Parts: sequence; structure tokens; C-alpha cells
Amino acid sequence: MKERIRNFTKRKEFGIILIILVLSIGLTFMSNAFLTIDNILDFLRSNSVIGIMALGMLPVLISGGIDLSVSSTIALSAVVIGNFMLKFPGSNPVLVILVAMLSGAVVGLLNGLIITKFKIPPIVATLGTMTIILGAVLLYTGGMWISGLPAWWSSFGNFRLGSFATAAGGTTGVSTQVILFVIGCVITSFILKYSLVGRGIYAVGGSESSAIRVGYNVNRITVFIYVFCGMMTGLAAAAHISIVGQVDPNTYTGYELDVISTVVLGGASTMGGVGTVFGTVLGVVLMAILKNGLILAKVPTYWQKVVMGLVILFAVSIDVINRKREQAKLVRVDVEE
Amino acid sequence: MKMKKLVGLGLAAVMAISAAVPAMAANDPYKIVVMPKLVGIPYFTATGEGAVKAGEDLGVEVIYNGPTTADAAEQVKMLEDYITQGVDAICVAPNDAAALDPVLKKAREADIKVLDWDTEATKDLVDASVHQISDQELAEHLIDKMVEYMGTEEGDWAIITGGLSASNLNAWIQFGKDYAAEKYPKLNLVADPYPTDEKQDVALSTTKDILKAYPDVKGLFCVSTPAPIGAAQAIRELGLQDKVTVVGTCVKEDCQDVLSDGSLDLGCLWNCQDLGYLTVGVAKALLDGKELGSEIEVEGFGKFAVVNEKDVILGPPEDYVKE
Repeated sequence: MKERIRNFTKRKEFGIILIILVLSIGLTFMSNAFLTIDNILDFLRSNSVIGIMALGMLPVLISGGIDLSVSSTIALSAVVIGNFMLKFPGSNPVLVILVAMLSGAVVGLLNGLIITKFKIPPIVATLGTMTIILGAVLLYTGGMWISGLPAWWSSFGNFRLGSFATAAGGTTGVSTQVILFVIGCVITSFILKYSLVGRGIYAVGGSESSAIRVGYNVNRITVFIYVFCGMMTGLAAAAHISIVGQVDPNTYTGYELDVISTVVLGGASTMGGVGTVFGTVLGVVLMAILKNGLILAKVPTYWQKVVMGLVILFAVSIDVINRKREQAKLVRVDVEE
Repeated sequence: MKMKKLVGLGLAAVMAISAAVPAMAANDPYKIVVMPKLVGIPYFTATGEGAVKAGEDLGVEVIYNGPTTADAAEQVKMLEDYITQGVDAICVAPNDAAALDPVLKKAREADIKVLDWDTEATKDLVDASVHQISDQELAEHLIDKMVEYMGTEEGDWAIITGGLSASNLNAWIQFGKDYAAEKYPKLNLVADPYPTDEKQDVALSTTKDILKAYPDVKGLFCVSTPAPIGAAQAIRELGLQDKVTVVGTCVKEDCQDVLSDGSLDLGCLWNCQDLGYLTVGVAKALLDGKELGSEIEVEGFGKFAVVNEKDVILGPPEDYVKE
């Protein structure tokens, strides 16, 4: 048991769990609205979009790559499904989600092919596709919103599973977007933990040349990673449009940074090789608690950003300190023997 | 063989066009450049539609073009190109007034009429300045409407803004706060403005959080076009249409849904198309040699007040309410 606890404190996720606990306890004392089922379901819902995109970004970072084009991909998918629903008002949410994921996958395929065929570094390749796609989307839409989506889409977006009494006297439940996020988590952890391609992703991120020597088809794995990221981004587009009910193609600028920082906060490394779905979920939860809790705790607006930055720095440094301590121990063992 | 023929045809066409150009220049329509802060956002797309329409109606050639990001240096470059090409009037919405001074001077020296619109350039350098409405008037109008829909002159209110560094939004907020403090002293502003990154979903979740932190808030004053819509959606999800008033600036087409069930009580903005139309109209009038008096007439569009010698005012904002 002791051993288990010690192992747990050594895990990368330990620092962020600690911070989430400390923050939650503090916020619970500062606002009685914070620790309510209603509020938790609310902030999970509003952060599910970044969460789903983070799940797509996770394998990319594990493989040692990066995808900057997600903010443009989500805009593209949103515009595609917006127009799809206007053209086919008789279709259904499942079909819309599939179309969204397909459109995202096309962008992912493009990224994957550019990276593997032309051997262009992911950061450059996806920076290029990011600009091209955003330009195309703005050219096509003129920046105009797409509204007047069918009624079944808004009932899909406002659906709640189960019902809990809220503090205010109403009822709430688990929203569509949270369900989509949970499904995304299950699929992503299955791929990373139990599939051959998942092991390959870690192998490529750890050392590409070793992965090739072991016999992984690195190109195929790379294409898979970016297609998967595109699909999740498409899913996130569907989740986002189901919340806001209309498509604003300009709203997604800057999403790529939010997504990448969330995944890194959750313990993944931009150097590749490490990262888990559990960690990413914790990253999403921490960001969500910060955004929501600081308003509930009535922290003055201008201080909120300062506090947010401090907590993020602290969360990342706990991990670094932990690792340093581990390394120091290793050295000592050598000397003693 | 075929290729040669095509090339020949092409050459002939080019020659025909170049022969036609001087002929057209003989009864040349005015060339008017209308430059927004940036292209590709709904607001400046709409103003562009108005400007182009005015061009068709008034028989002038309108070139509506601007940078893809709100970048003053890019505007300078583009304007210099237009001055070199030779145009009759330049109407610009400057991203940074001071940065545009040299290029606007250059335009005046080249006998080009210079106007600003949407946002002011340096006053001495423009022949006319087209304004949608004064910042103060808009802010005070929104506060009055908020109080009207709240049905009481006392209670908590909060401000939701697009971003903490946007100068026009900050101007509205400041005028609104000052006016509320003076005219409705029993209104209680609960906190500093909440930023929402110009994003509707952020406005939605922020509004929910504000109402959890301050359950007694009765009025929400929202500036930036996505903010009132996000706030109204939060009100709809919470079923608080009758308890919380939402007013704010938004584009007419985008707010119809949230107006329909009273989630949004009032949206308000000037007519973007009209602003573009008026800009071209004033430029044409000046090119025709008309003087700015106390008002200026645009053919087929109406008469508009002129204040401070050069400021042409489009008029009161349009209110969007449930139909």
C-alpha cells in the first residue's frame, strides 16, 4: 500500500491533482456555488470543446509533433456542418457529427501527407495549412455567421441526460457535449493503451529511429495521428456549434494555443514520448476550474489573468521539481554503491 | 498552330482593352477607395456591401479593400499603391491615426480628397469625417434602455465586454459607467467588466458564472457583437428571461433568434451598410464640388447633419427588439 502511494506521488499527474484539490477546497470556501453538481456540469460543458480537441492533440504531442492547424480545422468543420444542415434540414445529429469528423479528417490527411511525403517539420506544415484553411474559410463565408440551423440541432445541443436538482431550484443533467467528451476519452485511451498503433505512437515519440528498427511503419503512424487529430477537431466543431447554435467562423482564432497548453499542463511533453488521457482530462479540469472559479470567487477581473498564470506556472514547476529530485536520487544511488 | 492563334487572339484583346481605356477615361467615373480596418469580419463585410451599392447607385467606381489583419502599416502600403495608381478620393478607417499621417499628407499633395470613416484620422488631414454616432450617445442610449427593460432604477448590473484592450469598447463602457453613476445612482455595478475574447461561447459561460457569483444581477450591459448573444443564451438556458435584462451591441441578422423569446431584450447598432453608403456618398459630393455646410445631401439617400465643421453623422443607432 505504502509502495503504491509512493508510486502515485511520483506520477506526472500528481502535481496537478494536488493543485486541483487545493484550488477546489479554497474555492468551495470562497463561494458556495462552486462545489455543486450544477456548476461542475456547467464548467465541464463549456470546456468540452477544448477538451475534445485536446484529446486529438494528445497523440500528436506524444509522437513529438505539433498541430497548429486545429483552430482553422474547427472553423472549417463548423462552416461545413453549418451549411450541411441548411442544405439538408431533414438529416440528423449523428450524420452531422460524421460529416464534421470527415471534414476534419480530410485536413488531417493533408497534414499527415505533407509531413511524411515532403518531410516538412510538423510545426511548419501545420502553420501553412492553418493559414491556408482560415483564408479559404473567410473567403468563402466573408466572415458572416451561419444561423437559422434546424430545431432538432438545438434540442440535440440542449439535451441533458438524467436530472439533478440545482441550487437555484431547477434541474440539470449531463449535457450532450460532456457525453461526447467522455466518448472521446474512452476511444483515445483505448487507442493509446491497447492498440498496436497506440504503442507505435509512444515509440515514435520516444525515438523515431528505434521505432523504425523495431519495425513500426512511422509514416503510416504519423498520417494516422494527424487524421485522428482532425477527426477529433471535427467532433469538437459539432460540440461547439451545438452549444452556441450558430457558426461564427472568426471565433476560433487562438484555439490552438489553448489546446496545446491544456495538453502540456496535463503532463504531455512537446518533446514527445509522454502523455496520458488521464493527464489531459486533469489539464482540462484545471483550466475549467480556474476560469469558472475565479469569477465565482469574485476575484477582480484584472487579477484573474495574473492568478491563472501563477497557477499554471506552479503546476508545471511541480512536475519539473519532481523530476529533478528523481534524477538527484539516481545520482546518489550510483555514488553510494 | 492552335496555340499561336490563341496567343494572337489574346494580344488582340489586350490591345483592344488598352485602346478602350483612354476612351473610358474621357468621361471617367470617380475612383473612390474605401479602406476598412480589415476585411473578413461581418461588420466590415456589411459596410463594404453598402459602399459598393453606393458606387452602383451614384455612378462612381468604388474600390473596397483593406488588410486581412487590423494593421496600420499594411494600410499605409496599400494606400501608397493607390496614390501611385491615381484615384480621386481615399476614405479610410485607420487602425492607428498617427501612423497614417504621412501617407494622407501625400494623398492631399496629389490632390486626392481624403476622408475618414468609422474611426477618426488626424483631423487636419481630412476633408470630411464620417461618423456612425458618437460613442457617448450609444453608451447612454444602451444604459437608458437597460434601465427601461429592468423596470426599475435600482439593482445590480454587470458589464460584459469583448476584450479589455479594445479602445472603442472601453470608450462605451466608460461613458456608460459615468452616465449610470450620475443618472441612476441606485444602480450598483457589481464588478469590473468581464472580458469574453470576442467569443460567444465564452460570453455564455461567463454570464452563467456571473449569475452564480452575483445572483441579484438584474441587468447585463454587453459590448462587442458576440457578447450580448452569448449572454442571452445563458439567460435562455437558465430560464431567467423575466428576471435578467440583457442589452448590447450586435448585428441585426445574428440576434433574431435570441430576441424571439426575450432572452435578449434589446440589440443595438448603427446600420453597417448605411455607413458604407454614406461614406461613398459624401466622397462623391465633395468631388462634385459641394461644400460641407450644416448638413450634406447624398443623392437618393437623404440629408445628414454636419457638426464640428467636418463630422458627418449617420444618425441614431438602430434598435433591434422582438418583432
